[in-house]
Amino acid sequence: MESKNRFITVIIIFTSLFLIVFYASLFIFGQELTAEEIISKMNKLMNQDTVEAKVKMTIITTSGEERVFIYDSYSKNRGEKNLLRYIEPKRAQGQAILMLNYADDIWMYFPRTKRIRKLATNSKNEKMEGSDFSYEDTGASDAFIENFSSKKLGSEIKEGRDCYKIEMLKKEGIESGYSHLIMWIIKDNFYPVAINYYDAESPELLLKTLIQYDIKNIDDIPTATKMVMYNQLENSKTSIEMLEVKYNVELDDSLFTERNLQRK
Amino acid sequence: MRDNILKALAKMHALHPWKMVIAVLIITIIMGAFATQLEQSMRWTDLLPTKSEKTIQYNKVINEFVSATNIIIVVEGEEEAIKAYTEAIVPQIKLATDPKDGKLYVKRIDYKQDIDFIRKHGLMLIKADDLQNMKELYQNPNLVPLLTNLNNSFEKEYVGREESISTREKEDSILIILDGVAHLISTMQDYSSGKTHSPEEAQKAVDKLILGEPYLLSYDKQAVIINVIPNFSMTDMSKMVSGTDAVQEIVDRMKKDFPEVKAGLTGMIPLGRDEMVYGEQSMGYTSIIAFIAILILLILSFRMWVAPLYAILNLVVGLIWAIGLTAILVKSLNIMTSMVTVILIGLGIDFSIHIISLFTESRSMGKPIDQSIEDTFLKSGKGILTGGLTTCAAFFALIISSSRGMKEVGIVSSVGLLAILIVTFLFLPSLLVLRERRLEKKLKEKRIKSKPVYQDISLKRFGRGCSWLSVRYRATIICAVLFTLFLLISASRISFDHNYMNMEPKGLTSVTLQDTILDKFDLSMDYALIVTDNVEKSREMAKKLKNVKSAAMIDEISMYLPSWEEQQKRTPHIQEINRYLSNTVIESNILDSELNQVISELDRLEMNIMEIQDMAYMGGQDKVDRKCSEIVGYPDNPQSLNIISQFIVFLENNRQSGLKGLKEFQKYAAPYFKESVLKMASTENIVLEDLPDSILDRYANRDRTQFLLTVFPAENMWTNLNFLQRFTSDLDRISNKATGMPPVMQELFRVVGNDGKNAAFLTIFVVFLLLWLDFRSFKYAIIAMLPLLAGVIWMVGLMYLVGMQLTVVNVMALPMILGIGIDDGVHIVHRWRIEGSKKIRQIFASTGKAIFLTSITTMLAFGSLVFSIWRGFSSLGGAMFIGVGACFLSTVIILSGIIGFLERKK
Repeated sequence: MESKNRFITVIIIFTSLFLIVFYASLFIFGQELTAEEIISKMNKLMNQDTVEAKVKMTIITTSGEERVFIYDSYSKNRGEKNLLRYIEPKRAQGQAILMLNYADDIWMYFPRTKRIRKLATNSKNEKMEGSDFSYEDTGASDAFIENFSSKKLGSEIKEGRDCYKIEMLKKEGIESGYSHLIMWIIKDNFYPVAINYYDAESPELLLKTLIQYDIKNIDDIPTATKMVMYNQLENSKTSIEMLEVKYNVELDDSLFTERNLQRK
Repeated sequence: MRDNILKALAKMHALHPWKMVIAVLIITIIMGAFATQLEQSMRWTDLLPTKSEKTIQYNKVINEFVSATNIIIVVEGEEEAIKAYTEAIVPQIKLATDPKDGKLYVKRIDYKQDIDFIRKHGLMLIKADDLQNMKELYQNPNLVPLLTNLNNSFEKEYVGREESISTREKEDSILIILDGVAHLISTMQDYSSGKTHSPEEAQKAVDKLILGEPYLLSYDKQAVIINVIPNFSMTDMSKMVSGTDAVQEIVDRMKKDFPEVKAGLTGMIPLGRDEMVYGEQSMGYTSIIAFIAILILLILSFRMWVAPLYAILNLVVGLIWAIGLTAILVKSLNIMTSMVTVILIGLGIDFSIHIISLFTESRSMGKPIDQSIEDTFLKSGKGILTGGLTTCAAFFALIISSSRGMKEVGIVSSVGLLAILIVTFLFLPSLLVLRERRLEKKLKEKRIKSKPVYQDISLKRFGRGCSWLSVRYRATIICAVLFTLFLLISASRISFDHNYMNMEPKGLTSVTLQDTILDKFDLSMDYALIVTDNVEKSREMAKKLKNVKSAAMIDEISMYLPSWEEQQKRTPHIQEINRYLSNTVIESNILDSELNQVISELDRLEMNIMEIQDMAYMGGQDKVDRKCSEIVGYPDNPQSLNIISQFIVFLENNRQSGLKGLKEFQKYAAPYFKESVLKMASTENIVLEDLPDSILDRYANRDRTQFLLTVFPAENMWTNLNFLQRFTSDLDRISNKATGMPPVMQELFRVVGNDGKNAAFLTIFVVFLLLWLDFRSFKYAIIAMLPLLAGVIWMVGLMYLVGMQLTVVNVMALPMILGIGIDDGVHIVHRWRIEGSKKIRQIFASTGKAIFLTSITTMLAFGSLVFSIWRGFSSLGGAMFIGVGACFLSTVIILSGIIGFLERKK
């Protein structure tokens, strides 16, 4: 009897140990995400359904002077519709830019002339309003998923954060200003803390570096309150500060119309 | 054996001083003849390896392309004044003649666009996309349709292509259009207000609109460029100087008639002239400063003036030999070797100081002349030989350099120093012997029986100080080590100044005007040049370069000679313009109702320009913003002039006179517009032979078998090293034949950096080897080397602390100091071995005095370079001044400690 009890005890112990090891392995190995999974999570985070923000952008003009703009920004359908309305400086006050179809169509409102003009449809790769950002850089829609394939390069500490390092390679047949990107995505929250952009014609040429600073949780969504795009070639930079941000607010479709551009 | 040779030489001086002096003077005359053949060239490309592709291509460009080396006259002032001044001086400059051969200096002067060519082929030079957007503009010259079409093309332009104002070239093209519009409005207002009735004004307005500004005017219209193409190149140095001087004289003379105008010369040729002239001048006066300073110091130190004068004379003779040998070996001085004279002055005098020092010491102890000479040769001769040959060998090590600049410094300085060393052994002792004999004779004649008292001219206090350091050898060595560590940290922080313009003479017009051109024309004079074998390759290269983001603009032949395919694409649009315009009837009248349309279109034009202005402001495009402000005023200032609005108000308040004026304007402008555009609408294929010389010379060589592309950088590369590296690597990726200042300087930095490192290591090795051979002891060789190594660290550390940077010129100081600084240690260690233990006080009092003097004289010589107008020389002088001082101090302190340690050990 005693030996039988001992046998059962041993079985129970071994089984328990086995189960502990099994689930622990599952837990450890299950955490190893693929590059695609990481990018998918990042993409979901970066493209919220609606965003309303007050933004401060600092550019360097062709004369080398600093110029600061403050504007209200509205975004809907994960970046498919965007409206910017300038508040400062006084000279820019009232100007508005409407972007639809992921910046394929852009209209601008000029308060001085009270006219709305449609701009070029091939501006995606161009500088956004004198800044070092291009429309493509923000990765609106699922650009990073659809236009690029991803490859995990390992882990690295970047800007003091433990990050996945992912390489994004442009897919064949896709038009883009970049041959590839290197992203550092924070493991904790899948927020990209830094992105390197490489030239489409010369893949080894680093064109720009985006660094996202002061990452805070706003409405439970990690948000960089300061972004700086360093233009490595022209030794210039543009910084964007999010003065106020709200996510998933109600934004009517009528906000994103030509008519609404003229409203104050 | 060495002692026997030195003894024999001493005997020669004692027995046959006059023969020695005469022999040396004969050789000096021969060397002097060679010396007069020496030339000077201050081109940066002369420093590169001769087989460097950059140098080969650069020389090719200079030799083959007439317009690559030019004289640029920059005229500043109000628009009308600078244009008038330009028209006045151009005919004068064309006639400038060389008095030596009666030939004209100038081949051609470009100061306006070649209007004739553009009048014939203007539309064929516009890109197909632009023609499509703008063809409406050319279709109807009557005022109302013209304004309507202008507005349509504006709206289509920036609707169709938002990038219209986002690149440099597109920005420039919109500025040209806006300028034309501004002129059109002003001219129409002048007619409407009755200010003008002349047909020429209307025609000028049409030309401005369709052809642009004829003069090479800056964005703010406050400067114009006159491009003078000479009949000589930079390789003809005497013409370069006289030709530039002749043009300068005309420019200065004509300014008296135009006091409100400023004008100056820049470009490759004036810069070359200034570099050469100021290079020669600064070498001249810095050498004189060095001579005078050294002479004064020697007189004060030796408390006599004859011997120091003999030392200077000995040095001058040595320099003549050195320059003569330089003329034979290298034929021409470059930027680096131009400084060698001062280096030789500073080092060459050292040999004389040692000889005079020992000789006078011996004589002060009452020794006879021949004994004194023998003592001098035996006691200091070895040190002088070792020190001198070590330094020569150290300099000679520079010939391993791949850069021609450093290689020639190695040859010139080692051979030069050797020459002075030889002269010092052959000439100075005889002069001293002759002087002493003359003195003795004088004393005898005066029947003075008592011997003259020679003052002990050793540095006793200095000797005592070093003795004190050697007694406290532990503290001395520890302090020296700590100080070295501290300066090592400082040395590691020193940065490199890549801006070659900081090496050039400061304040020179030819240099400062380069900044003016950058400021006014947004064009860097530091462009890259690429040569191709044919027009097609030139076009392909330009296409690739246009994708290079570090390039702001490419100037190449397809601007005037589009490819056949491009011309085919443009032809249908031109034919359409031709067809439409040919069928357009010139209206003889403008109806009253049409005046309302004019006003309405002006209103629309105002709005278009305001919108362009706002977009430019948002995009940071300041030039476009400013140009728009000249037309529609500043939004922040409601009082600012808005010429369109002003014209509209005028028309509304003066309908009759306004209408009359506009009719008159149309009467002259419309037929001229039609005629001009129809001429420009030639669909004839443009071929190479159609291009006039004024255009071809910019892009083709004399035979028209090679073609030149000029690549202007997007940034100022001298303040942003990353950009320089990017620009040059972008160019290299596209063509390994790219040349011009950016690739040349980048290559120079690389080559000089490598050479400096390699030369330094080799110098250390060579110096050590020679010391080992000389001392026949590893231990003594190390002892002599240690202060040198510390001295170099102290030098770089101190340079950092006083705010100096390393440059492509002063980096040469590092291997040179290794050869120069070793002398001090060598002399002390030699003397210590001769004198034995417990003689530190005497060693440093005697030899210490000599090395103190030699260091100070060398520092004075290099210090004189600080006064050079050439900032590159000045930086080298500063570095060497600090270096020599550092090596002296390190020798005195460290050797005192080491000797104290070793003697205590014994």
